[in-house]
Amino acid sequence: MILFKSIIKGDYLQRTRSYAFLVTLAISLYLAYTFLPAADANYSTVKIGNYVGENNATWIGYVTAIMTSIFLSLIGFYLVNNSIKKDIETEVGMIIATTQISNFKYLLSKMLSNFLVLLTITGIVFAMGIILFFVRSNGADFNIVQFVLPYLLTTLPAIFFIAAFAIVSEVFLGRWLALHYMSFFFLFGIITANILPGGGSTLKMILDPFGVKVVTMGMESFVQQHFDAKATVSSIGFNFSAKKELKTFVFNGMPWPALYIVSRLIWVALSVALVFIASLFFNRFDAKAVIKVKKKKKNLTENLPAGNLLQDIKIAALPAISTDYGILPFIKTELLMLFRKGPKWFWVLNIGGMIALLFTTLNIAHQFVLPALWFLQVGRLSDLTTKEKTNRIHYFTYASYKPIERLLPSQIIAGIILMAGLALPLMVRYLAGGEFMPVIYLLAGAIFIVLLAAALGILTGGKKLFEILFFAITYTNLNSIPFADYFGALNNSSAYLSLMLLMISGLIITGFTIRKYEIRHL
Amino acid sequence: MVLDINNVSKKYNKEKFGLSNYSLSISNGILGLLGPNGAGKSTLMKIIATISQPSSGTLTLDGQDIVKNPNYIRKVLGYLPQDFGVYPNLNAYEFLEYIAAMKGVGGANLRQRIDMLLEGVNLTEAAKLPIGTYSGGMKQRIGIAQALLNEPKVLIFDEPTVGLDPEERVRFRNLVSELAENCIIILSSHIVSDIETIADEVAIMKSGELITKGTQPEVIQTVAGKVFETVIGGNEVSEFKTRHLVVNSIRQKDKTRLRYISNNPTEGSTPCNASLEDAYLFLTKSNAS
Repeated sequence: MILFKSIIKGDYLQRTRSYAFLVTLAISLYLAYTFLPAADANYSTVKIGNYVGENNATWIGYVTAIMTSIFLSLIGFYLVNNSIKKDIETEVGMIIATTQISNFKYLLSKMLSNFLVLLTITGIVFAMGIILFFVRSNGADFNIVQFVLPYLLTTLPAIFFIAAFAIVSEVFLGRWLALHYMSFFFLFGIITANILPGGGSTLKMILDPFGVKVVTMGMESFVQQHFDAKATVSSIGFNFSAKKELKTFVFNGMPWPALYIVSRLIWVALSVALVFIASLFFNRFDAKAVIKVKKKKKNLTENLPAGNLLQDIKIAALPAISTDYGILPFIKTELLMLFRKGPKWFWVLNIGGMIALLFTTLNIAHQFVLPALWFLQVGRLSDLTTKEKTNRIHYFTYASYKPIERLLPSQIIAGIILMAGLALPLMVRYLAGGEFMPVIYLLAGAIFIVLLAAALGILTGGKKLFEILFFAITYTNLNSIPFADYFGALNNSSAYLSLMLLMISGLIITGFTIRKYEIRHL
Repeated sequence: MVLDINNVSKKYNKEKFGLSNYSLSISNGILGLLGPNGAGKSTLMKIIATISQPSSGTLTLDGQDIVKNPNYIRKVLGYLPQDFGVYPNLNAYEFLEYIAAMKGVGGANLRQRIDMLLEGVNLTEAAKLPIGTYSGGMKQRIGIAQALLNEPKVLIFDEPTVGLDPEERVRFRNLVSELAENCIIILSSHIVSDIETIADEVAIMKSGELITKGTQPEVIQTVAGKVFETVIGGNEVSEFKTRHLVVNSIRQKDKTRLRYISNNPTEGSTPCNASLEDAYLFLTKSNAS
């Protein structure tokens, strides 16, 4: 039991005491702020037909709770999905493997630690919700019960489920990062597809792990009874259209069906059950795989001749070398590492994606195939500027000749070559059709996403923030929301290109400035 | 070449100093750096390697300020850090080419130089295998090879013999001795014998400060006439240690043979020739510093 608690505590502290987590909290705070649009904002988050609630404690509590359920489920999964991998990387897992703790208790402790991390972020959003109430409620009474209830019934079981699903998918798919990510991508799509259409049934309400459907049904029912019989919840998220036409109503809460409350408890129990099932397949910190890898390594080096020792090196006999301050050798090696990263069969998916870029309609290729294909490179891009520290090469790179002028640009250029190369079939199609500007947009997109990866890697020292953001951006793009379109599928104006150039400049300045400081302050 | 370190301090926070008013002049030859964990050896080497900046003080190489102009030393630097890593997906050849690019060296002879270095560190056969499959000793040898890629004039070795077996250690010392003819070599090690056999000068550090620097005989002189051996009962050892600085103990049935440093030797003790290890332990463990 002591070990069980220690793992939860240690894991939680290890993850929350990082600079990356602070950045995540800051972003969460900002997102929470945007959950409740100001009166003059040009977007809405939750609306029923053309109606939104007035800013009382109930509306703010319900809106921030369901927005948290959805967005924290989406982002939170990517935030907590590597807790077992961390133990393997740091070799703490090997120590834990020798203790008496059972697989189930270990995975359960990891799941609870995941839950605590997500709970911390929920706490931040909750606090922001209270601040927003006092800022935007125009003196309404603070109804604490109505404010807290949606968090308790909707958000907490939702993040509990996510905490468990992250563990389960890590056990089964942890070794294949992109598959691991894609599995949740599809699950999230299925769940939100169940939530979003208006109307609903008891079955839909129960089958929603995020617990949002019951709230949208309740809100719909209220508006339909009092204002508009045909109104349905048409959007949960950031809707930038037709904000000015919205009408307001006073929302004082809804009855919570007993069946719903029971279903939430069942989701919690199911989450634990899923972890238990995963524990039956969890081979103790991937011990078998580790052994296999070690055996493979041993076999490779075992065949070497005997006397495998340091020899006498005659320095005077070494040939003289000349100076070469070019960056081509860097770019070549960085590209080599990008290509070799991940399993080889993954390139089958990449090639499949490139073929799809050639043979689907231009619109589909640009709007859907390309972002998916680029997202498949998330593992390659996310460690573009973090791999030096991860592999402890930074002692060499930081002490190298002009690293800011030579190495960092090479890493970025290699990333851009990879991304532009993957988009090449699409570019060729545009050029063949005499369209030049879409090619510029595509190049700007490739440069932007690579620089985002580089800058966030340097800023946070880790891969997570970029991975989460890249996923969120891709998800938004696949849902045809122009807001996050960074490769010109939906936007094609000079203003858009100027904005892209501005952001690219900002990322360059951020990345280079911080790295310049880092290399002299190890 | 002359590397001058003048009043260099590295302050981590209000109370914690990595280095404190450190001054040292190093010319061609081997300087052995000795000191317990936390003495500031790695901090000093990181500052010389330009990957950490001093809070105050100056460092010059042949009169050039290398804090303001780090690229001056980077061109001629060979650095083997204590806990360096590798890119596991590259093979030894690719990795060395990458390091060569970092150091800004190339030309027609680079391939031949890499081949010869790989031969020297006995990794020719493994050169095409991913470095991720290498043993600790093999990785250490790759580290040694990379430090020699660019005809270095300043070589910094931080615990270089970790992972090398005794025979390799001897070869490494031979290599360092040969390099020292035209280079400044700064060699840090916990293993006094590694320093003892090759260092022209020794610098002993403690708590971020330079305690002493000199040739080995000069450093050993600090404990001359203070080193003794005695044999006592096993149950007396703990009490003995409270009165004297014990530098070695060997159990012999119910007795223990002790080598110790003291100004007041116990009755029946035999005087011994002092060694660098005695001097190191005396200066770092006692209050003599």
